[in-house]
Amino acid sequence: MSGYFAQISAIVRKDLLLELRSRERIASMGAFAILAGVLFNFSIDTTTVRPQDVAAGLVWMTLVFGGLLGVGRTFQIEAQDGAMQGILMSPVPKDAVFLAKVIANFVLLFTVSLLVLGVFALFFGMDVSANLGWVVLVLGLGSLGFVALATLFAAISTGTTMGETLLPILVFPLLVPMVVFGVGSMGRLIAGRPFSEVEGNVRMLGAFAVGAVAAGAALFRFVVED
Amino acid sequence: MTGVRRGAIGLTLLGLAGLIGLFWMSFFWVSTEANQGVVQRIFYVHVPAAWTSFLAIGVAALCSAVYLWLRDDKLDRAAMCAAEGGLVFATIVLTTGPLWGKIAWGTYWTWEPRLTLTLLLWFIFVGYFMVRNATEDPDKGKRFAAVVAIVGALDIPFIHLSVIWFRSLHPQPVVAKPEGPTLPADMLATLMVGLGTFTILFFGLFLFRYALEGLRSEVDLRARRSAA
Repeated sequence: MSGYFAQISAIVRKDLLLELRSRERIASMGAFAILAGVLFNFSIDTTTVRPQDVAAGLVWMTLVFGGLLGVGRTFQIEAQDGAMQGILMSPVPKDAVFLAKVIANFVLLFTVSLLVLGVFALFFGMDVSANLGWVVLVLGLGSLGFVALATLFAAISTGTTMGETLLPILVFPLLVPMVVFGVGSMGRLIAGRPFSEVEGNVRMLGAFAVGAVAAGAALFRFVVED
Repeated sequence: MTGVRRGAIGLTLLGLAGLIGLFWMSFFWVSTEANQGVVQRIFYVHVPAAWTSFLAIGVAALCSAVYLWLRDDKLDRAAMCAAEGGLVFATIVLTTGPLWGKIAWGTYWTWEPRLTLTLLLWFIFVGYFMVRNATEDPDKGKRFAAVVAIVGALDIPFIHLSVIWFRSLHPQPVVAKPEGPTLPADMLATLMVGLGTFTILFFGLFLFRYALEGLRSEVDLRARRSAA
Protein backbone atom coordinates (compact mmCIF):
# COMPACT_ATOMS: atom_id res chain seq x y z
CA MET A 1 0.00 0.00 0.00
CA SER A 2 2.84 2.38 0.78
CA GLY A 3 4.16 1.61 -2.68
CA TYR A 4 0.86 2.76 -4.15
CA PHE A 5 1.12 6.13 -2.41
CA ALA A 6 4.78 6.44 -3.37
CA GLN A 7 3.79 5.95 -7.01
CA ILE A 8 1.07 8.57 -6.74
CA SER A 9 3.34 11.07 -5.07
CA ALA A 10 6.06 10.50 -7.68
CA ILE A 11 3.69 11.50 -10.49
CA VAL A 12 2.24 14.39 -8.49
CA ARG A 13 5.76 15.61 -7.79
CA LYS A 14 6.70 15.37 -11.46
CA ASP A 15 3.63 17.31 -12.58
CA LEU A 16 3.92 20.01 -9.95
CA LEU A 17 7.66 20.40 -10.52
CA LEU A 18 7.05 20.80 -14.25
CA GLU A 19 4.39 23.36 -13.50
CA LEU A 20 6.57 25.15 -11.00
CA ARG A 21 9.36 25.48 -13.54
CA SER A 22 7.32 26.31 -16.64
CA ARG A 23 4.41 28.11 -14.89
CA GLU A 24 2.56 27.56 -18.14
CA ARG A 25 -0.86 26.50 -16.95
CA ILE A 26 -1.01 28.45 -13.69
CA ALA A 27 -0.04 31.65 -15.51
CA SER A 28 -2.66 31.19 -18.23
CA MET A 29 -5.38 30.22 -15.74
CA GLY A 30 -4.52 33.07 -13.36
CA ALA A 31 -4.43 35.67 -16.13
CA PHE A 32 -7.66 34.28 -17.53
CA ALA A 33 -9.35 34.57 -14.13
CA ILE A 34 -8.34 38.17 -13.55
CA LEU A 35 -9.21 39.26 -17.08
CA ALA A 36 -12.56 37.48 -16.82
CA GLY A 37 -13.18 39.53 -13.70
CA VAL A 38 -12.42 42.72 -15.62
CA LEU A 39 -14.83 41.71 -18.41
CA PHE A 40 -17.52 40.70 -15.90
CA ASN A 41 -17.22 44.18 -14.40
CA PHE A 42 -18.37 45.66 -17.71
CA SER A 43 -21.14 43.10 -18.07
CA ILE A 44 -22.86 44.20 -14.85
CA ASP A 45 -25.15 47.20 -14.95
CA THR A 46 -24.63 48.48 -11.42
CA THR A 47 -27.76 50.62 -11.57
CA THR A 48 -29.92 47.49 -11.65
CA VAL A 49 -27.77 44.78 -10.00
CA ARG A 50 -25.44 44.94 -7.03
CA PRO A 51 -22.16 43.27 -8.04
CA GLN A 52 -21.83 41.39 -4.75
CA ASP A 53 -25.19 39.71 -5.38
CA VAL A 54 -23.99 37.99 -8.53
CA ALA A 55 -20.33 37.66 -7.53
CA ALA A 56 -20.66 34.05 -6.29
CA GLY A 57 -21.98 32.97 -9.69
CA LEU A 58 -19.18 34.82 -11.46
CA VAL A 59 -16.54 33.12 -9.27
CA TRP A 60 -17.86 29.69 -10.28
CA MET A 61 -18.18 30.54 -13.96
CA THR A 62 -14.60 31.78 -13.96
CA LEU A 63 -13.48 28.58 -12.25
CA VAL A 64 -15.33 26.38 -14.73
CA PHE A 65 -13.96 28.13 -17.82
CA GLY A 66 -10.49 28.80 -16.42
CA GLY A 67 -10.30 25.29 -15.02
CA LEU A 68 -11.14 23.79 -18.40
CA LEU A 69 -8.33 25.87 -19.88
CA GLY A 70 -5.77 24.34 -17.55
CA VAL A 71 -7.14 20.85 -16.96
CA GLY A 72 -7.77 20.34 -20.68
CA ARG A 73 -4.01 20.39 -21.13
CA THR A 74 -3.37 17.75 -18.46
CA PHE A 75 -2.29 15.12 -20.92
CA GLN A 76 -0.81 17.49 -23.48
CA ILE A 77 2.71 17.06 -22.18
CA GLU A 78 2.42 13.29 -22.17
CA ALA A 79 0.91 13.31 -25.66
CA GLN A 80 4.25 14.54 -27.00
CA ASP A 81 7.13 12.17 -27.65
CA GLY A 82 5.12 9.14 -26.55
CA ALA A 83 5.58 10.01 -22.89
CA MET A 84 2.08 8.71 -22.15
CA GLN A 85 3.16 5.27 -23.33
CA GLY A 86 6.05 5.49 -20.88
CA ILE A 87 3.80 6.23 -17.94
CA LEU A 88 1.28 3.57 -18.91
CA MET A 89 3.96 0.94 -19.42
CA SER A 90 5.53 1.64 -16.06
CA PRO A 91 4.33 -0.74 -13.33
CA VAL A 92 1.95 1.84 -11.86
CA PRO A 93 -1.76 0.97 -11.62
CA LYS A 94 -3.86 3.11 -13.94
CA ASP A 95 -5.99 4.44 -11.11
CA ALA A 96 -2.84 5.66 -9.36
CA VAL A 97 -1.99 7.63 -12.50
CA PHE A 98 -5.49 9.09 -12.48
CA LEU A 99 -5.42 9.99 -8.78
CA ALA A 100 -2.01 11.60 -9.20
CA LYS A 101 -3.23 13.68 -12.12
CA VAL A 102 -6.31 14.70 -10.11
CA ILE A 103 -4.19 15.74 -7.13
CA ALA A 104 -1.80 17.78 -9.28
CA ASN A 105 -4.70 19.45 -11.08
CA PHE A 106 -6.47 20.04 -7.80
CA VAL A 107 -3.46 21.86 -6.34
CA LEU A 108 -3.41 24.00 -9.45
CA LEU A 109 -7.12 24.78 -9.59
CA PHE A 110 -7.45 25.32 -5.86
CA THR A 111 -4.63 27.87 -5.99
CA VAL A 112 -6.38 29.63 -8.86
CA SER A 113 -9.71 29.53 -7.01
CA LEU A 114 -8.16 31.28 -4.02
CA LEU A 115 -6.74 33.88 -6.39
CA VAL A 116 -10.16 34.30 -7.97
CA LEU A 117 -11.75 34.67 -4.55
CA GLY A 118 -9.26 37.35 -3.53
CA VAL A 119 -9.43 39.28 -6.77
CA PHE A 120 -13.21 39.12 -7.07
CA ALA A 121 -13.59 40.19 -3.43
CA LEU A 122 -11.56 43.24 -4.38
CA PHE A 123 -13.30 43.86 -7.73
CA PHE A 124 -16.90 43.32 -6.66
CA GLY A 125 -16.82 44.29 -3.01
CA MET A 126 -17.56 40.76 -1.76
CA ASP A 127 -17.19 40.49 1.99
CA VAL A 128 -15.87 37.00 2.68
CA SER A 129 -14.31 37.67 6.07
CA ALA A 130 -17.31 36.40 8.07
CA ASN A 131 -17.29 32.88 6.60
CA LEU A 132 -13.82 32.66 5.08
CA GLY A 133 -13.11 29.13 6.30
CA TRP A 134 -16.38 27.75 4.95
CA VAL A 135 -16.01 29.58 1.63
CA VAL A 136 -12.56 28.05 1.20
CA LEU A 137 -13.98 24.62 2.02
CA VAL A 138 -16.73 25.07 -0.59
CA LEU A 139 -14.16 26.15 -3.20
CA GLY A 140 -11.99 23.15 -2.30
CA LEU A 141 -14.82 20.62 -2.65
CA GLY A 142 -16.01 22.22 -5.87
CA SER A 143 -12.50 22.24 -7.34
CA LEU A 144 -12.04 18.57 -6.44
CA GLY A 145 -15.28 17.49 -8.11
CA PHE A 146 -14.53 19.60 -11.16
CA VAL A 147 -10.97 18.37 -11.48
CA ALA A 148 -11.97 14.71 -11.17
CA LEU A 149 -14.55 14.92 -13.96
CA ALA A 150 -12.47 17.19 -16.16
CA THR A 151 -9.33 15.05 -15.85
CA LEU A 152 -11.20 11.92 -16.94
CA PHE A 153 -12.74 13.69 -19.90
CA ALA A 154 -9.49 15.49 -20.75
CA ALA A 155 -7.95 12.04 -21.20
CA ILE A 156 -10.84 11.19 -23.54
CA SER A 157 -10.77 14.41 -25.56
CA THR A 158 -6.98 14.26 -25.95
CA GLY A 159 -7.48 10.87 -27.58
CA THR A 160 -9.99 12.17 -30.14
CA THR A 161 -9.44 14.07 -33.36
CA MET A 162 -11.52 16.96 -32.02
CA GLY A 163 -9.19 17.50 -29.08
CA GLU A 164 -10.00 20.12 -26.47
CA THR A 165 -13.02 21.48 -28.36
CA LEU A 166 -14.88 18.35 -27.31
CA LEU A 167 -14.20 18.84 -23.60
CA PRO A 168 -16.86 21.45 -22.74
CA ILE A 169 -19.57 19.51 -24.61
CA LEU A 170 -18.82 16.45 -22.51
CA VAL A 171 -18.22 18.13 -19.17
CA PHE A 172 -20.68 21.04 -18.93
CA PRO A 173 -23.88 18.95 -18.68
CA LEU A 174 -22.26 16.86 -15.96
CA LEU A 175 -21.05 19.89 -14.02
CA VAL A 176 -24.51 21.30 -13.36
CA PRO A 177 -24.70 19.85 -9.81
CA MET A 178 -21.34 21.38 -8.92
CA VAL A 179 -22.40 24.82 -10.12
CA VAL A 180 -25.83 24.64 -8.43
CA PHE A 181 -24.54 23.47 -5.05
CA GLY A 182 -21.39 25.60 -5.24
CA VAL A 183 -23.10 28.86 -6.13
CA GLY A 184 -25.98 28.10 -3.78
CA SER A 185 -23.75 27.68 -0.77
CA MET A 186 -21.20 30.36 -1.61
CA GLY A 187 -23.77 33.03 -2.37
CA ARG A 188 -25.30 32.64 1.06
CA LEU A 189 -22.00 32.39 2.89
CA ILE A 190 -20.83 35.63 1.29
CA ALA A 191 -24.10 37.26 2.29
CA GLY A 192 -23.12 36.45 5.87
CA ARG A 193 -25.68 33.69 6.45
CA PRO A 194 -24.75 30.95 8.95
CA PHE A 195 -23.19 27.70 7.72
CA SER A 196 -26.09 25.61 9.00
CA GLU A 197 -28.23 27.15 6.28
CA VAL A 198 -26.04 25.78 3.47
CA GLU A 199 -24.91 22.57 5.13
CA GLY A 200 -27.02 20.43 2.79
CA ASN A 201 -25.49 22.10 -0.27
CA VAL A 202 -21.96 21.56 1.02
CA ARG A 203 -22.66 17.91 1.81
CA MET A 204 -23.97 17.39 -1.72
CA LEU A 205 -20.92 19.15 -3.12
CA GLY A 206 -18.75 16.76 -1.10
CA ALA A 207 -20.73 13.73 -2.25
CA PHE A 208 -20.41 14.89 -5.86
CA ALA A 209 -16.63 15.28 -5.47
CA VAL A 210 -16.20 11.85 -3.88
CA GLY A 211 -18.42 10.24 -6.52
CA ALA A 212 -16.53 11.92 -9.35
CA VAL A 213 -13.13 10.83 -8.00
CA ALA A 214 -14.33 7.25 -7.49
CA ALA A 215 -15.96 7.00 -10.93
CA GLY A 216 -12.88 8.50 -12.57
CA ALA A 217 -10.49 6.15 -10.79
CA ALA A 218 -12.61 3.16 -11.80
CA LEU A 219 -13.08 4.16 -15.45
CA PHE A 220 -9.73 5.78 -16.28
CA ARG A 221 -8.10 2.45 -17.18
CA PHE A 222 -10.59 1.99 -20.03
CA VAL A 223 -9.76 5.39 -21.44
CA VAL A 224 -5.98 5.04 -21.62
CA GLU A 225 -5.58 1.35 -22.42
CA ASP A 226 -3.55 0.15 -25.47
CA MET B 1 -30.08 -12.53 -36.40
CA THR B 2 -33.40 -13.62 -37.89
CA GLY B 3 -34.72 -13.99 -34.37
CA VAL B 4 -33.74 -10.40 -33.61
CA ARG B 5 -35.39 -9.18 -36.81
CA ARG B 6 -38.55 -11.13 -36.08
CA GLY B 7 -38.61 -9.65 -32.59
CA ALA B 8 -38.04 -6.18 -34.02
CA ILE B 9 -40.94 -6.49 -36.45
CA GLY B 10 -43.23 -7.96 -33.80
CA LEU B 11 -42.47 -5.35 -31.15
CA THR B 12 -42.60 -2.44 -33.59
CA LEU B 13 -45.97 -3.55 -34.99
CA LEU B 14 -47.27 -3.97 -31.45
CA GLY B 15 -45.90 -0.53 -30.57
CA LEU B 16 -47.47 1.10 -33.62
CA ALA B 17 -50.81 -0.53 -32.84
CA GLY B 18 -50.47 0.74 -29.30
CA LEU B 19 -49.70 4.20 -30.65
CA ILE B 20 -52.94 4.23 -32.64
CA GLY B 21 -54.77 3.13 -29.51
CA LEU B 22 -52.98 5.77 -27.44
CA PHE B 23 -53.85 8.51 -29.90
CA TRP B 24 -57.48 7.40 -29.97
CA MET B 25 -57.59 7.33 -26.17
CA SER B 26 -55.90 10.68 -25.68
CA PHE B 27 -57.91 12.48 -28.37
CA PHE B 28 -61.38 10.94 -27.96
CA TRP B 29 -61.66 8.80 -24.87
CA VAL B 30 -59.96 10.47 -21.93
CA SER B 31 -61.78 13.35 -20.23
CA THR B 32 -60.45 16.86 -20.72
CA GLU B 33 -58.43 18.20 -17.82
CA ALA B 34 -60.39 20.94 -16.05
CA ASN B 35 -57.73 23.60 -15.56
CA GLN B 36 -55.63 23.37 -18.70
CA GLY B 37 -58.19 22.16 -21.18
CA VAL B 38 -57.40 20.33 -24.35
CA VAL B 39 -53.68 21.13 -24.38
CA GLN B 40 -53.08 18.79 -21.45
CA ARG B 41 -53.60 15.84 -23.83
CA ILE B 42 -50.00 16.25 -25.01
CA PHE B 43 -49.14 14.87 -21.56
CA TYR B 44 -49.83 11.32 -22.80
CA VAL B 45 -47.03 11.61 -25.36
CA HIS B 46 -44.72 13.87 -23.37
CA VAL B 47 -44.38 11.81 -20.20
CA PRO B 48 -44.00 8.38 -21.89
CA ALA B 49 -41.32 9.86 -24.18
CA ALA B 50 -39.48 11.23 -21.14
CA TRP B 51 -39.70 7.89 -19.35
CA THR B 52 -38.34 6.13 -22.46
CA SER B 53 -35.38 8.49 -22.82
CA PHE B 54 -34.35 7.82 -19.22
CA LEU B 55 -34.84 4.11 -19.74
CA ALA B 56 -32.55 4.45 -22.76
CA ILE B 57 -29.66 6.01 -20.87
CA GLY B 58 -30.02 3.23 -18.30
CA VAL B 59 -29.87 0.54 -20.98
CA ALA B 60 -26.99 2.32 -22.73
CA ALA B 61 -24.98 2.64 -19.50
CA LEU B 62 -25.64 -0.95 -18.50
CA CYS B 63 -24.63 -2.32 -21.90
CA SER B 64 -21.58 -0.02 -21.87
CA ALA B 65 -20.46 -1.24 -18.46
CA VAL B 66 -20.77 -4.88 -19.51
CA TYR B 67 -19.04 -4.04 -22.80
CA LEU B 68 -16.02 -2.64 -20.95
CA TRP B 69 -15.97 -5.83 -18.93
CA LEU B 70 -16.51 -8.51 -21.60
CA ARG B 71 -15.47 -6.57 -24.74
CA ASP B 72 -18.20 -8.12 -26.82
CA ASP B 73 -18.96 -5.84 -29.79
CA LYS B 74 -22.63 -6.86 -29.57
CA LEU B 75 -22.92 -5.02 -26.25
CA ASP B 76 -21.37 -1.88 -27.67
CA ARG B 77 -23.82 -2.05 -30.58
CA ALA B 78 -26.70 -2.45 -28.12
CA ALA B 79 -25.49 0.54 -26.09
CA MET B 80 -25.22 2.65 -29.23
CA CYS B 81 -28.70 1.68 -30.44
CA ALA B 82 -30.18 2.45 -27.01
CA ALA B 83 -28.44 5.85 -26.96
CA GLU B 84 -29.79 6.61 -30.41
CA GLY B 85 -33.31 5.75 -29.29
CA GLY B 86 -32.78 7.86 -26.21
CA LEU B 87 -31.71 10.83 -28.30
CA VAL B 88 -34.86 10.51 -30.43
CA PHE B 89 -37.21 10.26 -27.46
CA ALA B 90 -35.45 13.08 -25.58
CA THR B 91 -35.94 15.20 -28.70
CA ILE B 92 -39.66 14.37 -28.57
CA VAL B 93 -39.75 15.52 -24.93
CA LEU B 94 -37.95 18.73 -25.80
CA THR B 95 -40.41 19.51 -28.63
CA THR B 96 -43.63 18.58 -26.85
CA GLY B 97 -42.50 20.25 -23.60
CA PRO B 98 -42.19 23.81 -24.93
CA LEU B 99 -45.37 23.40 -27.03
CA TRP B 100 -47.27 22.45 -23.91
CA GLY B 101 -45.44 25.02 -21.81
CA LYS B 102 -46.31 27.90 -24.14
CA ILE B 103 -50.01 27.34 -23.54
CA ALA B 104 -50.01 25.99 -19.99
CA TRP B 105 -47.35 28.25 -18.46
CA GLY B 106 -47.32 31.07 -21.01
CA THR B 107 -43.69 30.52 -21.94
CA TYR B 108 -41.81 28.15 -24.21
CA TRP B 109 -39.03 27.56 -21.76
CA THR B 110 -38.87 27.53 -18.01
CA TRP B 111 -36.20 26.00 -15.81
CA GLU B 112 -38.60 23.41 -14.57
CA PRO B 113 -36.38 20.65 -13.08
CA ARG B 114 -37.55 17.80 -15.27
CA LEU B 115 -37.34 19.85 -18.45
CA THR B 116 -33.84 21.00 -17.50
CA LEU B 117 -32.80 17.45 -16.72
CA THR B 118 -34.05 16.23 -20.10
CA LEU B 119 -32.14 18.98 -21.89
CA LEU B 120 -28.94 17.93 -20.11
CA LEU B 121 -29.67 14.27 -20.88
CA TRP B 122 -30.04 15.24 -24.53
CA PHE B 123 -26.60 16.82 -24.44
CA ILE B 124 -25.13 13.73 -22.78
CA PHE B 125 -26.45 11.65 -25.68
CA VAL B 126 -25.02 14.18 -28.16
CA GLY B 127 -21.65 13.99 -26.41
CA TYR B 128 -21.84 10.20 -26.60
CA PHE B 129 -22.13 10.27 -30.39
CA MET B 130 -19.58 13.05 -30.87
CA VAL B 131 -16.95 11.10 -28.92
CA ARG B 132 -17.79 7.92 -30.78
CA ASN B 133 -17.28 9.51 -34.16
CA ALA B 134 -14.21 11.57 -33.29
CA THR B 135 -11.60 8.82 -33.04
CA GLU B 136 -9.52 7.24 -35.76
CA ASP B 137 -9.52 3.88 -34.05
CA PRO B 138 -13.14 2.61 -33.78
CA ASP B 139 -12.37 0.49 -30.70
CA LYS B 140 -11.11 3.57 -28.89
CA GLY B 141 -14.31 5.41 -29.81
CA LYS B 142 -16.37 2.56 -28.38
CA ARG B 143 -14.47 2.65 -25.09
CA PHE B 144 -14.69 6.44 -24.83
CA ALA B 145 -18.41 6.42 -25.61
CA ALA B 146 -18.99 3.70 -23.02
CA VAL B 147 -17.29 5.84 -20.36
CA VAL B 148 -19.44 8.84 -21.36
CA ALA B 149 -22.63 6.78 -21.05
CA ILE B 150 -21.67 5.35 -17.67
CA VAL B 151 -20.58 8.68 -16.14
CA GLY B 152 -23.67 10.34 -17.62
CA ALA B 153 -26.00 7.78 -16.06
CA LEU B 154 -24.22 8.04 -12.70
CA ASP B 155 -24.43 11.82 -12.77
CA ILE B 156 -28.15 11.95 -13.54
CA PRO B 157 -29.32 11.51 -9.92
CA PHE B 158 -27.02 14.38 -8.92
CA ILE B 159 -28.27 16.59 -11.73
CA HIS B 160 -31.85 15.74 -10.86
CA LEU B 161 -31.36 16.62 -7.21
CA SER B 162 -29.49 19.82 -8.02
CA VAL B 163 -32.04 21.20 -10.46
CA ILE B 164 -34.83 20.55 -7.93
CA TRP B 165 -32.69 22.19 -5.25
CA PHE B 166 -32.07 25.17 -7.50
CA ARG B 167 -35.76 25.80 -7.94
CA SER B 168 -36.37 25.66 -4.22
CA LEU B 169 -33.76 28.38 -3.77
CA HIS B 170 -35.31 30.57 -6.46
CA PRO B 171 -39.07 30.09 -6.35
CA GLN B 172 -40.55 30.00 -9.84
CA PRO B 173 -44.17 30.65 -10.74
CA VAL B 174 -46.11 27.66 -9.50
CA VAL B 175 -46.06 24.98 -12.14
CA ALA B 176 -49.20 22.92 -12.26
CA LYS B 177 -48.34 19.45 -13.42
CA PRO B 178 -51.21 17.00 -13.55
CA GLU B 179 -49.34 14.21 -11.86
CA GLY B 180 -49.31 12.21 -8.71
CA PRO B 181 -51.86 9.93 -7.12
CA THR B 182 -54.62 12.49 -7.67
CA LEU B 183 -54.80 11.60 -11.35
CA PRO B 184 -58.34 10.45 -12.31
CA ALA B 185 -58.69 6.83 -13.36
CA ASP B 186 -59.20 7.42 -17.09
CA MET B 187 -56.16 9.73 -17.29
CA LEU B 188 -54.08 7.23 -15.37
CA ALA B 189 -55.20 4.46 -17.74
CA THR B 190 -54.28 6.55 -20.81
CA LEU B 191 -50.90 7.39 -19.27
CA MET B 192 -50.23 3.73 -18.54
CA VAL B 193 -51.12 2.77 -22.13
CA GLY B 194 -48.74 5.53 -23.25
CA LEU B 195 -45.91 4.29 -21.05
CA GLY B 196 -46.38 0.71 -22.23
CA THR B 197 -46.66 1.71 -25.88
CA PHE B 198 -43.55 3.88 -25.86
CA THR B 199 -41.53 1.25 -24.03
CA ILE B 200 -42.53 -1.43 -26.55
CA LEU B 201 -41.92 0.92 -29.45
CA PHE B 202 -38.50 1.80 -28.07
CA PHE B 203 -37.46 -1.83 -27.83
CA GLY B 204 -38.89 -2.53 -31.30
CA LEU B 205 -36.87 0.29 -32.87
CA PHE B 206 -33.90 -0.70 -30.72
CA LEU B 207 -33.96 -4.25 -32.10
CA PHE B 208 -34.29 -2.95 -35.68
CA ARG B 209 -31.23 -0.76 -35.23
CA TYR B 210 -29.42 -3.59 -33.49
CA ALA B 211 -30.11 -5.99 -36.37
CA LEU B 212 -29.00 -3.34 -38.86
CA GLU B 213 -25.74 -2.74 -37.00
CA GLY B 214 -25.17 -6.49 -36.87
CA LEU B 215 -25.57 -6.74 -40.65
CA ARG B 216 -23.30 -3.74 -41.12
CA SER B 217 -20.50 -5.28 -39.09
CA GLU B 218 -20.93 -8.55 -40.98
CA VAL B 219 -20.60 -6.70 -44.30
CA ASP B 220 -17.48 -4.99 -42.97
CA LEU B 221 -16.03 -8.30 -41.96
CA ARG B 222 -16.71 -9.90 -45.34
CA ALA B 223 -15.32 -6.91 -47.22
CA ARG B 224 -12.16 -7.10 -45.17
CA ARG B 225 -11.87 -10.84 -45.69
CA SER B 226 -12.26 -10.61 -49.47
CA ALA B 227 -9.76 -7.75 -49.57
CA ALA B 228 -7.28 -9.92 -47.72
